Amino acid sequence: MKKVGIVEVTQSPGAESSLSLMEFTYKTVKELLDKVGMRRDEVDTYVMASSDVLHSGMSCANSFDIDATGGFLKPFSRTEGDAITAFVYGCMRIMSGNYDTALIVGLIKGSENADNDTITSCFADPFYSRPTGINETTAAAMQMRLYLQRYGITEEQCAKVVVKNLGNALFNPYTHIKKRVSVEDVLGSERICDPLKAMECAPKSDGVCAMLLASEEKAKELTDKPVWFKGWGASMDTFYLGDRDLLDTPLKSAAASAYKMAGISNPRKAIDMAEICEPYAFQELLWCEQLGLCGQGEGGKLIDSGATQMNGSLPVNPSGGVLAMNPYVSRGLYRVAEAALQIKGKAGEHQIDKKVNTALAHATYGFCGQWQGVVILGS
Amino acid sequence: MAEEKERPRTIEAVGTAPFEMALGPTWTRFFEGIKEEKIFGTRCKKCGRVLVPARPFCPRCFEPMEEWVEVAQEGTIVTWSYIDYTYFGLEDDMIPVVPATIKLDGTDTSWWGVIGGFDIKDFDLVAKKVKVGGRVKAVWRKEKRGCVQDIEYWKVIE
Amino acid sequence: MGRAVGIIGTGQTKHGRRDDVSYPDLVREAVNAAFEDAGITPEDIDGVVFGSMPSMMEGMAYNHFYFADAMRAVGKPILRAETCGSTGQSIAHTGVHWVSSGMADIVLVVGSEKQHEGDAQATMMTILEPFLQLSAGGAPVAFSMQSREWMGYYHIAEEKAREAAAIISVDCHNAGANNPLAHIRKRFTKEEVMNAPIITYPVRLLDVCPSSDGACAVIFASEEKAKKICETPAWVKGMGFRGEEYFIGDSSKAVWQSAIEASREAYKQAGITNPRKELDVAEIYNPFSYQELMFLECLGLCPLGKAADYVIDGVFSPGGELSCDPSGGVLCTNPIGATGLIRLAEAAMQVTGKAGSRQIEGAKLALSHAMGGAEQFNGVTIVGSEL
Repeated sequence: MKKVGIVEVTQSPGAESSLSLMEFTYKTVKELLDKVGMRRDEVDTYVMASSDVLHSGMSCANSFDIDATGGFLKPFSRTEGDAITAFVYGCMRIMSGNYDTALIVGLIKGSENADNDTITSCFADPFYSRPTGINETTAAAMQMRLYLQRYGITEEQCAKVVVKNLGNALFNPYTHIKKRVSVEDVLGSERICDPLKAMECAPKSDGVCAMLLASEEKAKELTDKPVWFKGWGASMDTFYLGDRDLLDTPLKSAAASAYKMAGISNPRKAIDMAEICEPYAFQELLWCEQLGLCGQGEGGKLIDSGATQMNGSLPVNPSGGVLAMNPYVSRGLYRVAEAALQIKGKAGEHQIDKKVNTALAHATYGFCGQWQGVVILGS
Repeated sequence: MAEEKERPRTIEAVGTAPFEMALGPTWTRFFEGIKEEKIFGTRCKKCGRVLVPARPFCPRCFEPMEEWVEVAQEGTIVTWSYIDYTYFGLEDDMIPVVPATIKLDGTDTSWWGVIGGFDIKDFDLVAKKVKVGGRVKAVWRKEKRGCVQDIEYWKVIE
Repeated sequence: MGRAVGIIGTGQTKHGRRDDVSYPDLVREAVNAAFEDAGITPEDIDGVVFGSMPSMMEGMAYNHFYFADAMRAVGKPILRAETCGSTGQSIAHTGVHWVSSGMADIVLVVGSEKQHEGDAQATMMTILEPFLQLSAGGAPVAFSMQSREWMGYYHIAEEKAREAAAIISVDCHNAGANNPLAHIRKRFTKEEVMNAPIITYPVRLLDVCPSSDGACAVIFASEEKAKKICETPAWVKGMGFRGEEYFIGDSSKAVWQSAIEASREAYKQAGITNPRKELDVAEIYNPFSYQELMFLECLGLCPLGKAADYVIDGVFSPGGELSCDPSGGVLCTNPIGATGLIRLAEAAMQVTGKAGSRQIEGAKLALSHAMGGAEQFNGVTIVGSEL
């Protein structure tokens, strides 16, 4: 298979923006093109990700977005759902040999949308599930309850994820929430959906992430330090929650595929850092287990050990993660971007101390992680 | 006699969700102009085109469009249609409607507007007066709200 | 192009008003038909691509979650692609790239729509933001205005355009009556079409597609797998996709650059220099008969501004030089998210001799096409019987 390299990434400022969605998107894409010194029309193909239900009230999102993403009269496509799929599709387009460069954009202005829970309640079918009041948060609360009970994970351990990630976010200029919090603060925040506390839930953010991908030869031409796409895997769970074991998610098979493609047999050893999508704090622990970064039921011990801290042996979410910045559609692309910056050594103030050769980026959406995707990047 | 099999049922549901969209600096300024009965476009420094309504950047050259140009309130019809059926958002008393795209003098794009000022219920009269290539000018409402509807309609210049 | 990719199976539902089944069951109908056609099982699938119109059109967000089981996608990677009306072509291109990249050997692509479960016009009106382009639009208005722009640009007499559009409508409805899966299966005379009530001037009732429920599934495989599994794969010969600006007035819609450039790229990949002569079938996306006239020109099947003359001369009618839409086209069947994929499935069936009552004898090379957005996006895929 052909190699694909990440040449450069840009992210919008983390704060809510008063720009129109079109201006907001344009700024980050333009910044990327200026950084790599390319004109819009010199890029071979464009793949963007946005979501009609999270697109400021406008449907057929690509219709509005094409101008600001730069895709006018260029080979173009759009993925709907998490933007990590746009990244993977961009890689496919280059690996097929059809294109040498691909510009990837994930975009959303959460501040213009209805509450995420209003939108996610529409994931439920209108007959069986929606009338029960289910949405992503209520589903997560049930998953958390099961997690605490089955494995004896404590609420303190879950709260530590918030403390760690928001602490990391203080060093990342591209995050939304800037606040140092304590375990007590988290435990004392409102129990919005027991056992979930308000501070354990991700915010609703504005975020555009843009990335230039290139074929091996072209990547080496465009940057001194390309970050290579090494592997990916994705998997889908069955629809009805009652048909699943909520603690045995398709992340296991997604990770297995990604590791296989990347030639990784022992992920705990091979992976130097991970960016994990944790819209609910406890999920970082659960996902670490399912990714094979610790044993089953050992997510609590993992956070207690300090290994996942910025200076630990396996830093998780040095960017601050989704708890600090939750641009729903683009958050998976943010994970890839942050992992790439760590490998490049260009993460700035939140650059981790040790050398990063192999990094993992994870994305999920849907009730209790119905869809899971994993990308492995390498130096 | 076999019982007639019951036809599978359907159920009705309505979904709504609120949104609040930012106009941003470019479109905010455009609507400030509209309040003063002025139509602004922006010019691309690279290709020189003037686009209306004003844009933050040129979709082709991808450069910021920073030069503001007040454009003419008269233009040429590029195309038009005649809406004589109702659908979501359109009530019986709101039709017919004569939408048109209008290329304002000195601009390089056409803009969506509605033609009026005479009895548009009479289709034959509409077809006689409204022509591709025909000339129109903006007619403003007295009370402005800073929105496109401040242009009440585009009047055919005979 | 990278690895060669072949279509090894297609499946469609019976299209129409399908309130006899739930939406997941509708999807399942197409998916099962594709598995049966390909003679493989869900275990053989490495990945799934899904697409539809904005999922709120049917009141569900991200309905690929809902269809995970119906698509047999549980435990598999799934991508969702969407580009409005051209979704069917975009998901096909996603599937082709996936296989071509080497990251999968067999990919299932599914498109669907259940238009009767929601208000399609209400959704499509929200394509336009509510403040700069008056949203008194909806698809029929936008496309009627495009037709008028084209007539004005080339000075085509109204009666001539009306007659050519009517011929397309009559041909498509005849073909639809011949397609057991089509939604509208009723024939009309040219006079009936020309005198049907005006919907949005100049477009009349029988110039317009129906709102349909339906789904389509297509299975793509690498060269090696396709040759092993299938006696007669339809090989993907070329693809192209282009989009124009969001503001409708920014580009000419009479000389439709996105259609011109998308087809040019596909022809180049397929090595086609004279498409009207070399192609045997064209499945053109024609929700409005007038639009097909523009497509015939912009897809390079006749000179610009001359489509009405060619159509009146019978060049694109049955028995003419190039058969267009032998399936009945979009004018007879329009489950939007599936529609562009149905064009490709029909093209594949034609070049593999599987099109049954609508088979064009000896067809070897076929074009499929779809259009979407605010008159913005065009996608083309060309398939052939030979690698």
